[in-house]
Amino acid sequence: MTNVIRAELYRLLRRRTLVIGGAVAIAFSILAAFSVFAAADSVGPRSVQGGTSLARLAASGGGTESFAVGASFASLLAFVSAIALIGNEFANGTFRSLALREPRRIRLIVGKFIGLLVVLAGLLLLAEVLTFVMSLLAAQWQDVPTGAWFSMAAIGDGFADFGSTFAGLAGWMVFGTFLAVVFRSVPIALAFGVAWAGPFENITVDSWSTGLRVFPGQVLRSVIAGGTTELGFSQAVLRASLYVVVAGVITLAVVARRDITS
Amino acid sequence: MADDITSRNVDDGGMPSRSTADTTSVISARGLTKRFGDRIAVDGLDLDVPRGVVAGFVGPNGAGKTTTMAMLLGLVRPTSGSAYVLGSPIDDASDFSRRVGALIETPAFYPHLTVEQNLHVLAITGRHGGSDIPGLLRLVGLAERGDDTYRTYSLGMKQRLGIAAALIGDPELLVLDEPSNGLDPQGMREMRELIERIARDDRTVLVSSHMLSELEQICDWLVLIDTGRSVYQGPAADFLADGAALAVAPQRSDDLDGLLRLVIGTGLTAQRNAERVIIPLRGRDRSDVAAQVNAAAFAAGLVLVEIAPVRDSLEQRYLSLVGTPAAEVASTNGATS
Repeated sequence: MTNVIRAELYRLLRRRTLVIGGAVAIAFSILAAFSVFAAADSVGPRSVQGGTSLARLAASGGGTESFAVGASFASLLAFVSAIALIGNEFANGTFRSLALREPRRIRLIVGKFIGLLVVLAGLLLLAEVLTFVMSLLAAQWQDVPTGAWFSMAAIGDGFADFGSTFAGLAGWMVFGTFLAVVFRSVPIALAFGVAWAGPFENITVDSWSTGLRVFPGQVLRSVIAGGTTELGFSQAVLRASLYVVVAGVITLAVVARRDITS
Repeated sequence: MADDITSRNVDDGGMPSRSTADTTSVISARGLTKRFGDRIAVDGLDLDVPRGVVAGFVGPNGAGKTTTMAMLLGLVRPTSGSAYVLGSPIDDASDFSRRVGALIETPAFYPHLTVEQNLHVLAITGRHGGSDIPGLLRLVGLAERGDDTYRTYSLGMKQRLGIAAALIGDPELLVLDEPSNGLDPQGMREMRELIERIARDDRTVLVSSHMLSELEQICDWLVLIDTGRSVYQGPAADFLADGAALAVAPQRSDDLDGLLRLVIGTGLTAQRNAERVIIPLRGRDRSDVAAQVNAAAFAAGLVLVEIAPVRDSLEQRYLSLVGTPAAEVASTNGATS
């Protein structure tokens, strides 16, 4: 499978991709840091609905808090990117070309996905570092103390925020890959996925709060946030894992069994 | 399968002779069948392609050529039957994928990558890390455009790039599905020359095409299918020889009917065609028939000004075999006469 991962990284790590990724990371860090600090309440823990408190921002994890809170809004980007990247492989026939070189399709799709995850991890790391720097500026602007951000505990909080964000976005990418493989059409997969994860889930939870603990998108938001008032972190990880495993197994079964005719 | 597959004949095709091929089947299939719902795309196909030949895979639209190739390469799962490629069952194409290059349907590459980058992606995926990508681009005449992105390529260049991609790893077997599709006459000629170049290295090539006149010039083995079934497979020379005939012309056109009666009177089959009498050889020796006709004409006082061998084209032979209306093939075969 390493051959597929290397090929995917060779394809993705082009100057164009890096420039776009870097620009997105910079834009994300500025938006996340200043909007989170501007919107922070004086009290209160994280919620699926977003936002955090000034107390949390002043704590050891405050330097990367904006990254974690903002990342839940970046999940749509990861979701859409996975649909576009994997869906185009099927729609444009490049999956067929690659399958001629690597006929073990499970290895092919998993290798490509791992390649995407490696790039995602790199971009997230860049975004986290940049958000930390932007948060220092935002903290001065909002008079939030930053002394605790440079403690040993802050390093642990930074890793935790990175881990939960990465896990959550990886989950979104599994869902995106699932839709791309099932529909084999980027427009249809995008229409279905965005309609579900956007309007359907969010409108429904306004009148049915249980949806915050049940819907896949809401569960992943809780994972990215490191747990919320509506759904604790461990429960969120458990439920998200279940959804991801189901989506992953269906995806692999479809890829392995379906004829490659386009 | 024939025990001895003789090379293409210089007289027949005007091409250089190739050595006698190995008799081992590079591709073999028995009862290969593919159903898509109620429709049978490939219907119990038996197939043998010997090593070292350029095999033309001929059939009308929807005959099952692409589906057969896709099954052989592991892209499409057969409904029933079995097949072997390079001695390995097609159930696990990874056993032979590194030794096979293919261009199936249209070429597919990443539009934003340069063509060199695209070939590198395929080389890495297929574990052909040491592939000579610039050399492949030179072979297909794209060396000057290696740094251009795929999206800037014309259709003909994309097809040639598809061939270059198929050649990654120096495969023993090349499977090309309609490589001339959409090309203009010049592009088709270049593609034919490219396939001839590729085939010189003792490589087996299975190439499908509607362009029967193109295939006729490069193939030494033929597989003809119709509605998913094999209607002929064997040496191209044998297939075309079945359509060989003698054209005989008298000095005076008034003698044509008399000559026709004379030839038929000697026990041969003949028909009048414009200013000639055509005598199908049907396996008989050309010289013997010519001598027989010449002697009969001399005895009858007829002066012959022409006794010439003629041969049906691949298209004519194919149509006579499958009975496809000429208009249907002509519509997909702009290059044939």
